[in-house]
Amino acid sequence: MSRVEVKSEVTGTVWKIEMKVGDSVAEGDEIMILESMKMEIPAMAPEAGKIVEITVEESVPVEEGQVLAVIEA
Amino acid sequence: MSTPDETQDMWQNAIDELEKRRGWSEELGGADAVQRHHERGRLTIRERIAGLIDKGSFQEIGKLTGKGTYDAEGKVRHVTPAPYVMGIAKINGRPVAVGGEDFTVRGGTSSGSRRRKGGQGGFVEDLAHDYRIPLVNLIDGAGGTVSSIKSRGYTVFPGVSGFERSVDLLGEVPVVAAVMGTAAGGPAGRAILSHFSVMIEETSQVFAAGPPVVKRSLGQDIDKNDLGGTKIAVETSGTIHNAAKDEEDCFRQISSFLSYMPQNVWELPPRGDTSDPVDRQEEDLLSIVPGKRTRAYNMKKLVEMVVDRDSMFEIQPTFGKAVITTLARLNGYPVGIIANNPMVYGGAMDARAARKQIHFMELCDNFHIPVMFFVDVPGFMVGLAAEKEGALREGMRAVYAAGKMTVPTFTLVIRKCYGMAGMATCNKNGVDMKVAWPSAEWGSLPVEGGVAAAFRREIAAADDPAAKEREIEAEIRPYTSPFRTAEAFEVEEIIDPRETRPFFCKFVELAYESMKLSLGPQSKAGVQP
Repeated sequence: MSRVEVKSEVTGTVWKIEMKVGDSVAEGDEIMILESMKMEIPAMAPEAGKIVEITVEESVPVEEGQVLAVIEA
Repeated sequence: MSTPDETQDMWQNAIDELEKRRGWSEELGGADAVQRHHERGRLTIRERIAGLIDKGSFQEIGKLTGKGTYDAEGKVRHVTPAPYVMGIAKINGRPVAVGGEDFTVRGGTSSGSRRRKGGQGGFVEDLAHDYRIPLVNLIDGAGGTVSSIKSRGYTVFPGVSGFERSVDLLGEVPVVAAVMGTAAGGPAGRAILSHFSVMIEETSQVFAAGPPVVKRSLGQDIDKNDLGGTKIAVETSGTIHNAAKDEEDCFRQISSFLSYMPQNVWELPPRGDTSDPVDRQEEDLLSIVPGKRTRAYNMKKLVEMVVDRDSMFEIQPTFGKAVITTLARLNGYPVGIIANNPMVYGGAMDARAARKQIHFMELCDNFHIPVMFFVDVPGFMVGLAAEKEGALREGMRAVYAAGKMTVPTFTLVIRKCYGMAGMATCNKNGVDMKVAWPSAEWGSLPVEGGVAAAFRREIAAADDPAAKEREIEAEIRPYTSPFRTAEAFEVEEIIDPRETRPFFCKFVELAYESMKLSLGPQSKAGVQP
């Protein structure tokens, strides 16, 4: 088991969180959608696993490289 | 006259001495030094060369170079080899010049001898230059050492063994640099004077000067990985292009990079595997771009579906991520792909993305690799951070560099193509063919925002300004259909996304035919803005 961090590619805001702690994800699944430069940017699971932590809330600002969620892969 | 016995003795002694001297060279800095080097998780220079090249293809040059010690009768006791190993070899069956510092001898510091085996102005660079073959530098050294001042008796003026040859090589043959240890000074400089550079996570660092100098100059205490490890040198500054997981991965990346390159600028790039059918049409290409215009999608996956299977080799995958620059093949022919990445700031071009794109365009142009743009760019990056890092100037340098290219280029508009950043995705020197998917849109600036600016007074005067803005937008929107531009032949063709691969395979083949007539080095004129 390894902890994999899901990081934001952009500076922007969290628009919609689509999954919750405990959900299983496949690689490439959308965990949440960020809003930046008037675009919706999906934050996707880098690996398959289970979401063990979501570190942000909807409508909060996020920085590039910030951890959004943690997956146990 | 010598007797047959004397002749035999003379030769036996000579061959024995040759073998003994070769043996010392093979031992590098000795068993203890080699063990310490291994314990740091690093291979020796000889193991590195063996790991990189086709088995048994190494012909070493300068194997006997070193510092000998002799007994009273003038018989050699031992020779400490020069801290650089080099020669010619083959990678994927093609000749290369390869060399690298031997860290186990005085930490790979330059030897101080008048004729240099490697480093700037070294023999290995002459091999690459004279035989017109790629150069692979396996860098693991700290450059000059102050200790040689004493033995020499004077200090050397910077540039006496200069970078002239290293600079010339960049216009002649592919140059690859691998940082495989801690590189500062000259070796660090040489790592950057390359077409493709790679360094290894954890075990490699590169900087102008290491922690002791930083401490003395600025009073800052910093760990060498925090100063010049992959996180800084690759991901943050883009000083080195790619990171490798370990030394094997590094060799694999070097060999892969060279497989797209011609041996020199007087040859065409080599055609690779052609087993992927030209007429393969991926159905998923029809659904990859979301209907909702503000929704990002996976551009890398899109490119993957178009090019030959498993043919992508990405340059700088972790730097300037608003644009993807990757070598790939279409029907076996090497191509350079520049694809905007909507997942990162909607693909807006920032200073880092521009620098990355400029290097990649120059690389492809130099080595006659046709360039294909997958366009989805809303414009230059905006905001204070972008202005501070000079995104506008770097972006215009990308426009300038795109305009300077002479290699055939193709422009495929996937979605947005706006403004000056859009101009960095085409080149008017050739046939200037712009092809679009039906999802494409373009202009000086997007309708949203554009309407607000152009009709400001009209909108402000309305009873419901927001409604007025939406009304004008709705009025203008139909004109943005790419089909209308195609009617006017201002975009030359619109294709079904599934037709992308067969369409461009045809044109890449033509591009390779036409390039036969325009090989050779680039002429340089003009000043980059």
